[in-house]
Amino acid sequence: MQGNMKSIICTLLCGITTGAFAQEDLDKLIDLGNPKNEKVTATFKSGSLINLKTTETIHRNELDFKVDHRFGDIAGSAGGSKNFFGLDNSSDIRIGLDYGLLDNLTIGIARAKGATEIRQLYEANLKYRFLEQTVDNSVPVSIAFFGSTTVSAMEASEDKNSAANFDDFSDRMSYVSQLIIARKFSSGISFALVPTYLHRNFTAFNEQNNMFAIGIGGRAKVSNRIAVVADYFLPFRQSSKKQYRENITGQRYYNALGVGLEMDTGGHIFHLNFTNATAMQESQFISETISSWGKGQFRWGFSIARRFSFDKKPKE
Amino acid sequence: MKKITIYSVFLFLLLSLEGFAQQSSSFISKGASISFFSSAMLEDIEAKSNLAGSALDIKTGDILFRVKNTSFQFDKKLMQEHFNENYMESDKYPISEFKGKIENSGQLTKDGNYTAKVSGTLQIHGVTKAYATMATFIVKNSIITAAASFDVRLADHKITIPSVVGKKIAEVVKVKINATYKH
Repeated sequence: MQGNMKSIICTLLCGITTGAFAQEDLDKLIDLGNPKNEKVTATFKSGSLINLKTTETIHRNELDFKVDHRFGDIAGSAGGSKNFFGLDNSSDIRIGLDYGLLDNLTIGIARAKGATEIRQLYEANLKYRFLEQTVDNSVPVSIAFFGSTTVSAMEASEDKNSAANFDDFSDRMSYVSQLIIARKFSSGISFALVPTYLHRNFTAFNEQNNMFAIGIGGRAKVSNRIAVVADYFLPFRQSSKKQYRENITGQRYYNALGVGLEMDTGGHIFHLNFTNATAMQESQFISETISSWGKGQFRWGFSIARRFSFDKKPKE
Repeated sequence: MKKITIYSVFLFLLLSLEGFAQQSSSFISKGASISFFSSAMLEDIEAKSNLAGSALDIKTGDILFRVKNTSFQFDKKLMQEHFNENYMESDKYPISEFKGKIENSGQLTKDGNYTAKVSGTLQIHGVTKAYATMATFIVKNSIITAAASFDVRLADHKITIPSVVGKKIAEVVKVKINATYKH
């Protein structure tokens, strides 16, 4: 009798357990692979925020055509209704072409008007992203190097005190090196820290040839296709030279601060921004921004980028 | 005391036997392929993932498909980025899943070619919708090869296409599935 009971219980148990297995089984059988070392994508949407370069490179065999524009002062003594809040003037214009040699290596050329004493700028640049943040955080940040060489094509100035008093061709050149360290904190929030080194072969008298600066920038998504972006550069100046320059020109140096909206329309990235910086080239706006948000000397700016892809695999 | 031991051994054996029997009715497909095709006025877009996972149970007829949205490969990487960032929102909804039943799945125990109706629910972009389609199954030496195709209307899964790219992305996307199942 006891034995019978046990076998009944036993059979029941077996039935129950296998029944339960059948439900879960299929779920457990599927293994979509280890997400380890999966790279974080789209930390930023484009190669730059407002004044700050990001870790983003364009993909291999893609061409990026970008037009940047900075208008005149919105307010202050040079702004207001008489020049239609800056829209009558353009402080700087930059037209650039970038090409993706590899998915993490972009080279580019650009022409900029220039917004300091130095004008007619031709720039060659390179961005190499050598570290990529991973989803599992085993690599917590992405790091890219950005370097550019700029040459001015303007006519040399006769004025010995001018930054454009070029003797040699090399006097026309300036260099920018940046290490861009970025982290995507969540699907909508990313930050970048950008230690920067500038070198200008020739400057106005008693101006710094070399300058270190730290840039910080961030992006916060407000909707699927719109994000708020902001960036700021803190240059480290030699106080004696700074004082000398400010006394002789009668103008103070300010740090570049930009805020803006970034819109992704699918193919086009459109930036609408405000910044006190008049120039767009790093060797100019980091070292020689003399307009101030506090005095109303900030401006509209926009940038339109269009990417073309030449990567078309043959049909299978 | 002895009796209990014998019963436990018996119970264990029975359980393991049952377990084996269960395993033999379920089949796994690693690296199943899912592709989709969008044909619009200005552009044809095709993407494929060979990293989908699937499992089916010929006893119960249960079938399950899962794919990571980021595993779809496009001809143009920019499209792939847009697919994940703007349309699928793969950060929020990383996986697409189909859970369904195969009709008359019992016939799949014998070698041969079969056509069977598969119906169930598909979850894409966080939205679940019922689907049914005819699938073909080829059974040979306890390897099952399955193929199916069906249409997905993007709006059904709350995937919105901005009007500026409306002529580049089709409203209805054709999905093709190929999987080879083994024990």
